[in-house]
Amino acid sequence: MNHAGPVSARRIRLMVTISVILVAVFAIRLIDFQIVRAESINETSLEKRAVTMTIPAVRGDILDANGKVLATTVYRYDINAAPAIVRPVEKVIDGISQVVSVESVVQELASILELDAAELLPKLIGTSHYVNLKKRVDAETHRQIVELGIPWIFSDAHQNRLYPNGAVAGNLTGFVGTDGDALAGIERQFNACLAGVDGKESFEKGVDGIKIPASTVVLQEARAGQNVVLTIDADLQYQAQQVLASEVRRLDADWATAVVIEVKTGRIVLAAEAPSVDPNNPGKSKPEERGARVFQFAFEPGSTMKAITAATAIETGYANVGTPVRAPYSLRVFDHTITDSFGHPATNWTLTGVLRFSSNTGTIKIAENIPAKTRYEYMERFGFGKPTAVAFEGETRGVLNHYKDWDGVTNYTTMFGQALSVSPVQMASAYQTLANEGVRLNPVLVAGCQDSDGNLTAVPKENATQVVSAATANDVMHMLEKVVEQGGIGQATAVSGYRSAGKTGTAEIKEGSGYGRYYAASFYGMAPVDNPQYAMGVMIYKPKQVWQNSMAAAAGYQKILSQVLLANRVPPSTGKSPDLPTEWK
Amino acid sequence: MRGLAQTKARGPLVMIVVMGFLAISILHLLLTIATSQSVYELSDLKREKRELDTTLQIVAEEVAALSSQQNLLNTASKLGMVTNSNPVFLRLDDQKVLGKPKPALGSSSQSRNLVANSSMINQAPAKQKAAPASTETPEPLSEVPEVSTVSAIPASPTR
Repeated sequence: MNHAGPVSARRIRLMVTISVILVAVFAIRLIDFQIVRAESINETSLEKRAVTMTIPAVRGDILDANGKVLATTVYRYDINAAPAIVRPVEKVIDGISQVVSVESVVQELASILELDAAELLPKLIGTSHYVNLKKRVDAETHRQIVELGIPWIFSDAHQNRLYPNGAVAGNLTGFVGTDGDALAGIERQFNACLAGVDGKESFEKGVDGIKIPASTVVLQEARAGQNVVLTIDADLQYQAQQVLASEVRRLDADWATAVVIEVKTGRIVLAAEAPSVDPNNPGKSKPEERGARVFQFAFEPGSTMKAITAATAIETGYANVGTPVRAPYSLRVFDHTITDSFGHPATNWTLTGVLRFSSNTGTIKIAENIPAKTRYEYMERFGFGKPTAVAFEGETRGVLNHYKDWDGVTNYTTMFGQALSVSPVQMASAYQTLANEGVRLNPVLVAGCQDSDGNLTAVPKENATQVVSAATANDVMHMLEKVVEQGGIGQATAVSGYRSAGKTGTAEIKEGSGYGRYYAASFYGMAPVDNPQYAMGVMIYKPKQVWQNSMAAAAGYQKILSQVLLANRVPPSTGKSPDLPTEWK
Repeated sequence: MRGLAQTKARGPLVMIVVMGFLAISILHLLLTIATSQSVYELSDLKREKRELDTTLQIVAEEVAALSSQQNLLNTASKLGMVTNSNPVFLRLDDQKVLGKPKPALGSSSQSRNLVANSSMINQAPAKQKAAPASTETPEPLSEVPEVSTVSAIPASPTR
């Protein structure tokens, strides 16, 4: 016993020493793995099994003035299959486990996806792990597919832009491409507000490449986009588009536009056109129909410009509502003959009569002494020759050449709206100025960018400019009221119960070096005259049925104006129009 | 003897340590079970939220399609309604009619939708049950009340 003691003790010491050494080695390695090289090992490991994915931010909505959704984001799903693992599906039906054949499953799939089972079946044969069966199905269809519980069917979700009202304000909202990129209109112009910020997530995958459940880690939350709120009333916009589409058809016109501006705020209530793009399917529209002509198209306005000339003449003291002129049918100006639109002997008209009968020669007689510089400056102050503050993408500035570049004839033709061009919204804005006691307000199309709490940011700055005095503006408006009261075309624009004012415009359209056969017929005005609320204009481009004068625009103007006044519960007019003679003796 | 006494004295201490470890292990186990349970619950709730989000989207799309102007016009015209651009007002204090009442005839082009909306193709409105269109022609008014231009508030256009 005594003999074995030291040996045993030595063995124990040896074992302990070896153990300590082993533990020390393992400890060193452990420290090396867990502390010294932990980060790099983790990274290498994660790289092998972790997948980082982008979490797309949900794009904001585009809303009308009343919160109606004009554009929103929904999810659509690509339905895919893995042919390599296609096999009969086990299902529990009425508590009994049953095996459903592939053929029966395909029948169900085909029925839900509205596909032909005979075409679907061959796609499911093979060794591939991916085959697409149908792209972009809606959420309800996707849910039905999921409920089938087929293990070899899977789906990919995609954000899709939906415009629930189709072409209503489609010219303004613009559209996005299939990849989600904003391509036109407000979608592109306000992309910074709508887009949001994408997030990131990572998950781990197994050897087979399949995602390991509950391994998802959100690295960065996605921040949803904000909403863009327009000043447009979608219901009125629709009614205006409906009226314009009907008029384009009736008149066999190329297209038509309508603009309505709130006189006291400058907010654009509607900016309609027909035909107009359906942003759900822009490819179906012609390229020239995918924009917003209200902002992007410039045309020679013709006689609607006479109201601006009259305002300039009154404001600068060259005329008043009763200024007499003797207007001939035609006038020889330099090498050109300028005529009125209808034959008449030389007539004694007042300025009111000149506007009432839309006399070109009378307008020249009224304004010929106003310096070209003065008239040019007033045109600029009314907003012509530069884009509006809306700054709609691709907005035209129109053509307003510097007065020093006007030749002899141009000096005269600009008085009645030739040799210059304007956009529909520019002219409506000029009439808003006349209806608002001479104060021009920046037209507003976008009320602002709305955050999740409903607060508006990026609200456009208000800018009021006194272009002409209140007295001048009211004089012009009262003269224009005679156009509606007495003129054949004007009367067709009247809305029962309301006093309204306006001016016809029948502009020739440039074709090559001269003018073509067809016209741009327009009517611009304001209502009610006793308390102006709305300035508006309708333009019909190249009507083939009623092409000689602006009667083409009258019916559409009347229908849209009546809807605007009624929808906004504008009280009927009181009082009578002032007595303004149109002729003198 | 002294060593044995020392060992005996350490006995309770070892027991306390072992029991402590055991208690901590059991507590850890219970917490792990509870956490795992919460993870499953969280997963269930997330799945439920996804389902509810999908339901919300389906319903919202359906509501949007039903309330689209195109669908409203189609439904209204099936009911025989037409647009009237000739407003007439009734002044309440003396029951005077302001404006010239005329029957709303509504052209066929005005009674059907002319504004495209391809998002409606697969939506419920196409399958909506609508009341049969009216076949009656409105009776022309025999009397046209006098027009007067004094203030009155127009009736709601929606009633």
